[in-house]
Amino acid sequence: MPGRDPRDAFPGHVPPRAAAPRSRKRGDNGVDRAAMRRRSVPRSATPDTAGDAAARALLAREGRAGRRRQAAPVLLGLAAALCGIAQAWLIARLLAALLAPLLGNPAGAAGWPELLGAALLALLQAGLGVAQDRAQLAAGIAARARLRGAVFARLLADGPADERPVGERATLAVDRVEALDGYFARYRPAAALALLVPALVAAAAALADPVSGAALAVAGLLVPVALALTGIGAAQASARQFEALQRLSGRFLDRMRGLPTLVLFNRQEAEAGSLGRAATELRLRTMRVLRVAFLSGVAQELLAALALVCLAIHHGAEFRAGGGDLAAALFTLLLVPAFFAPLRAFSAAYQERLAARGAAAALAPLLDAPVEAGGLVLEEVPPRVVLSVQDVHLRYDPARPPALDGVSFRVMPGETLVLAGPSGSGKTSLLRVLLGFRRPDSGRIAINGKDATLLAPAELRRLSSYVGQRAHLFRDTLRANIRLARPEATDAEVEAAAEAARVMEFAAALPAGLDTLVGEGGYGLSGGQAQRVAIARAFLRDAPLLLLDEPTAHLDPGTEAEVLESLRRLCLGRTAIVATHSRAARATLGRVLELSAGRVVPVARAAG
Amino acid sequence: MADPSGPAGLRPLLGRVLALWRPRAGWLWAGGLVAVVAALSGVALLALAGQGVAAVATDDRAALLAGTAALLLLRPLALLRPLARYAERLVTHAATFRALADTRLWFFRRLAERLPAGIGLRRSGDLLGRLVTDVESLDGLYLRALVPAAAALAVLLAVALALGALSPLLALLVALPLAVALLLPVLIAPGAVRAGDRVAGTQGELRAAVVDPLLGLEDTLAANAEGRAVARVAAAGERLARAQRRLSRRAAWGGAAGLLLTQLALLGALGWGLLWAPGHGAAAEAGGTHAGLAAAVLALFLAVAAAETFGGLPRAGAALAAAAAGARRLFEAADSTPPVAEPTEPAALPPGNALRLRGVRFAWPSERGPSGWGPSEGEAAGRGAPDRAPVLDGLDLDLPEGGRVALLGPSGAGKSSLAALLLKLAAPQGGSITLGGVDLAALPAAAVRQRIACLTQDARLFDDTIAANLRLADPDADEAALWRALDRARIGDLVRALPEGLGTRCGEAGARFSGGQARRLALARTLLSPAPVLILDEPAAGLDADTERAFLETLDEATSGRSVLLIVHRLVGVERPTRILRLIGGRAIPAAG
Repeated sequence: MPGRDPRDAFPGHVPPRAAAPRSRKRGDNGVDRAAMRRRSVPRSATPDTAGDAAARALLAREGRAGRRRQAAPVLLGLAAALCGIAQAWLIARLLAALLAPLLGNPAGAAGWPELLGAALLALLQAGLGVAQDRAQLAAGIAARARLRGAVFARLLADGPADERPVGERATLAVDRVEALDGYFARYRPAAALALLVPALVAAAAALADPVSGAALAVAGLLVPVALALTGIGAAQASARQFEALQRLSGRFLDRMRGLPTLVLFNRQEAEAGSLGRAATELRLRTMRVLRVAFLSGVAQELLAALALVCLAIHHGAEFRAGGGDLAAALFTLLLVPAFFAPLRAFSAAYQERLAARGAAAALAPLLDAPVEAGGLVLEEVPPRVVLSVQDVHLRYDPARPPALDGVSFRVMPGETLVLAGPSGSGKTSLLRVLLGFRRPDSGRIAINGKDATLLAPAELRRLSSYVGQRAHLFRDTLRANIRLARPEATDAEVEAAAEAARVMEFAAALPAGLDTLVGEGGYGLSGGQAQRVAIARAFLRDAPLLLLDEPTAHLDPGTEAEVLESLRRLCLGRTAIVATHSRAARATLGRVLELSAGRVVPVARAAG
Repeated sequence: MADPSGPAGLRPLLGRVLALWRPRAGWLWAGGLVAVVAALSGVALLALAGQGVAAVATDDRAALLAGTAALLLLRPLALLRPLARYAERLVTHAATFRALADTRLWFFRRLAERLPAGIGLRRSGDLLGRLVTDVESLDGLYLRALVPAAAALAVLLAVALALGALSPLLALLVALPLAVALLLPVLIAPGAVRAGDRVAGTQGELRAAVVDPLLGLEDTLAANAEGRAVARVAAAGERLARAQRRLSRRAAWGGAAGLLLTQLALLGALGWGLLWAPGHGAAAEAGGTHAGLAAAVLALFLAVAAAETFGGLPRAGAALAAAAAGARRLFEAADSTPPVAEPTEPAALPPGNALRLRGVRFAWPSERGPSGWGPSEGEAAGRGAPDRAPVLDGLDLDLPEGGRVALLGPSGAGKSSLAALLLKLAAPQGGSITLGGVDLAALPAAAVRQRIACLTQDARLFDDTIAANLRLADPDADEAALWRALDRARIGDLVRALPEGLGTRCGEAGARFSGGQARRLALARTLLSPAPVLILDEPAAGLDADTERAFLETLDEATSGRSVLLIVHRLVGVERPTRILRLIGGRAIPAAG
C-alpha cells in the first residue's frame, strides 16, 4: 500500500487528484490545507502571510495576557547579570593586582577579600538562577493551561464536523500547546534579556574602557542582522515540521485502533513501513528547522569569538605601546562571555520561537474561527416536545449526492417515528442534524414551534437522549459509562437504567458486576452487550426527545425483543425517532417514515 | 505508576535503549566525536588566549614570542570553534532523530506483535503519548547526557594534563570541581527518577484525557459532557504542571550546582595565584615565579573555557531521569505478553484446511491491572477483574474443507471468542484445535491468518482510500478484483457512483460512510482475501433486510467454494448451510435447519 497522504481526508476538500502529480502535491498540500482551516481569514490574502499574521496575533495576545508573570524571570535575569558584572570587576581587580609586579608596578592591594566577594556573588547568582528557572516555568504553565483549555473546548464545540483524525486533533491540544511553552517560558524572557543585559554589560565596559564598550556594542548590533538572515523561511519550515508530527500522530492512532484488522491480514509489517515513512518525514522536517536555528547559533559564536580577539588585540597593542589600565582591560575581556551569554540563550530559545510560530499558525485558525451563531440558551428543558422538520437539505461533499434532500415530517409527544430505508439513505444524517452535529444547508427544524437552529447546539442536545450506531464506550466501568448520560444520577437510578436496557443480564455474570472495567470502544463486551450499555444511557438520560440509531442492530432475536419492549416503555410520553432496519422494530414501535437517497418515500407504500 | 526502582533500575533501562539504537551506532559515535572536537577547540582557544595574556605580562622575550604566536593562532581557531559547534549540533541531532524514528517503528512493531487482538483495557491516547512524548524524552539520554559528558570528559582530561604538567596542586584545584560536575548527573538522576516518572505518567494521562472524549465525540456531546471533559483535561494539565515543577526544581538545583562548581574551579585558580604569585603570600619569599603566575593565568582561562562545557552538565541529571521514565513507559507497553506465544518449532504447513475443534475450553483472561499496566494516577487501584467465567466449555465443531457451517447464538454466547481462537488471537485453556490435521498451536500465527480470513465485528476501515483499505486483504489485487469484491458485498454500485471511485477516502473508522456502507466495505475486503477459509461474523449487520437477503443468497458465488464459518444471530433462510449449530452454554449443539 503506498504511503498515502492522510491530509487528503479533509472534508469538503476534494483535490483534483488526476490533475496534481503526487510529488508536487506533497510539497504544496501543507499550505493548501492550512488555508482550508483558516476559515476566518479572507481568501484573497496569500496563505502564508495570513497564517503568519494570525500566528503573530495569537502569540502577542497570549503574551499580553501573561505579561505580569513574564516580568519576573526578566527581573531575576537582570539581577543575575548585575552580579556577573560585579564579579567580573572583582576578578579583574584581583588579576590586575597579581600581574602588577610583572609590569614593574607596585603590587596591588587586592587579594582575599575580592576572592571572597566573588565567591559570595557566585552563590547569589546561583540562587537567582534557581529563582529565574521557577519563574519561567510558572509563566509557561499559566500560558499553556489557558491555551489548552481554549483549544480543547473548541475541538469539542466543532464536534464531528472536524473530520481530521482524532490523533491529529489531539496533537493540537497537547503537542502544539506544549510547543508554546518554550515561547512563553524561555523565548520571551530570553528576548527581553538579550536586549537589556548586553546593553548593561556594554555600558559597564564603556565605563572602564570606551573603545571596548564600543566594540561590544557593534558586535551586539550585528547579532539581530545575523538572526534575520538565518531566520528567513525558518518559521515555515517549523510549521511543516509540526504538520509532519501531526500526521504521524493521526496515522498511528488510527492504525493502532485497528490493530486487529491489520494483524488479521498480516499487514502490520507493511503498515510499519508506512509509519516509517511518516517518521522519516518528521525527522527530515525537524532537521530542516534545526539547520536554520543552529545557524543563528554559529553566527553568534563567530561574533563572540571575533569580539574577544578584537579586544585582546586592542589591549595587547595598548600594553605594548606602554599604556592601558590592566584592571580595565581584564574587566572588559571578562565581560565578553557575560555579554554574549544572554544572546546565546536567546539564539537557543529562537528555536522555541520557530516552533511556537508553527504551533500558533495551526492553532490560530481554530481559536480565531467565529463561534457559530445561534447561541440561545434554554431556560428549562420542556417536558414535551413537538418536533417538526421542514424541507431539510444537507450535503457533506459537493461532489457527492446530498445526504438529505428535502425531508419533512412532524412528530408529536408520545409518538414514535421509525426511520427506515437502505443504508446510506440519510437516516443517520437526519439524526445528526437533530442533534446539532451538523447544521442543515437549508430547511427548518422547529421544536414546540420555535426555530431550533437558533439554539446553541449544546442546548439542542440537552433536549434529547441519543444512542448512536457506533456508540462509544469509554475505558471505564460499566457504571461510569452509563452515568455519562446524567452524572448526577444515583446508583439506584443507574442500576434501574441498566436493568431496563438488559445490561444487568450479562453484567451480573461479570466478576465485578456494573463495576467491571470495559476497554475503549467496548473491549471485553460483545457488540450486542455494548449496544445495551448505550441504550442504558438513554434510559438514564430521561430527556423529552429520543433519538435512536439502529438500537438493536447487534442483538439476537431474543434480546432484541426484550430491548424493544423496554424501548417501547422508554418512548411512552416522549417524542421518539428510531432509525432501524429491524422488521421487529418497525412492527412494534410506531409510524414508519421510509427514506431513500435523502428523500421521504410517499406514505402509501411505506405504511405496510 | 510503576514504582521507581532507584539507581539499579536506571542503568538497565537506559542500557536497553542504547541496545535498541545499536544500528545507529555509527551516527551516534560520530556525534560524540564532533562534540569532543568542538569542546577541545573551545579549550584550545581560551588556553591560547591565556598564554597570550601571560606572555604580555612577562618580560621574557621567548615567552612573548610564543604569546604573539598564540594570538596569531587564535584567529583560525576562532573560526574553527563555531563551525565545530555547528557540526556537533547537526550531527548529534541527526543521529538522535534517526534513533528516535527507529524507536517509534520498533514500538509499533512490538505493539502489533504483542497486542494483536487490540489494545484491550489500555487507552489508545496513552499509547499515542508513549509513541510521541516518551520516545521524544529519550533524546535527553544522548543529547543532554551522553554527548555533553563525552565532551566534558575530554575537556577534563585536557585541563588535567595541561595543568598537571605545571603544578599537580593547581590541576587538582581546577579539575576536582569539574570532575564533581561530571559525576553529578549520575548522582542526581536516581533522586529525580520519581519526579521523572510522574512527569511521564501525567503526560500520558493528559493525552488520554484529550483523546478519550474525541474518540467518543458524538457520545460526549450528546450527553452534554463537554464541560466535564474540559475539566478533566484541565485537571490533568494541572497534575502535569505540578510534576513538571517538581522535576524542574531538580534541574534548577542541578543548574545552580553546575554554576557553583565551575565558579569554584575558577576561584580555585585565582586563589592559587594569590598564594604563589610574586609579591603575594608564600611565593614572595621563594623569589616569586613568573612561571607560577603564568600557570595561574592559564588555569583561569581553562576554567573559563570549561565553564561552558560543564556548567549545564548537572542539569542532565533531570534529563536522564526523564529519559529513564520515558523508557520505562515505552518498554512497559512494548513488553506486554503476547496473548498467544509463537511456536518455537513451527510445524510444516498442512495441505488441507479442515478445521476441527475438540473439547475446547476458553475463558478471557483478566487483565493485569485496571490500565493493563497497573493503576495510573488519579484512578482508584485494585479494580482489576478476577478471571472471567468460561465462554466456551467443551466445544466440538467441524468445518470440513469447502463446508459451510452456520453458528447461531445470543449475543455474548462466545461466537466472537471462537473466531479469536481460530485466528490465534487467543489460546484455548483446554481441548484442541487443528487446521488440516495439524495442531493450531504448532503453526505460526501469520501462516494461520493466511489460511483464515475473518470479518470481525470490529473490523475497521482506516483513514485511507477505498482501494488501499481493500488491498489490506490482498496487496496485489488488481482493480477488477477490487470491483468484484465490492459487487459481491453489494456496494459496488455505490462506489461507482462516487466521483473519486476507488480513490475515495474512507475517513477514520469509515466515518465518511454510513454504518451499513462501512460494514459492506469491510465485508468486501474479507471477500477479496485469497484465504481458503472465511469466518464471517455477522456479515449482514447493518444491512437492510433486502440487501441482507440478496447477499446471503449469493454467498455461494461470493465465497466460491471456500470453507465458510457463518456467525449470525438468526438465519434468514437462504444461506443453505451444510450444517447449523447453536452455541449454548459454551457448547455447539446441532440445531434444526
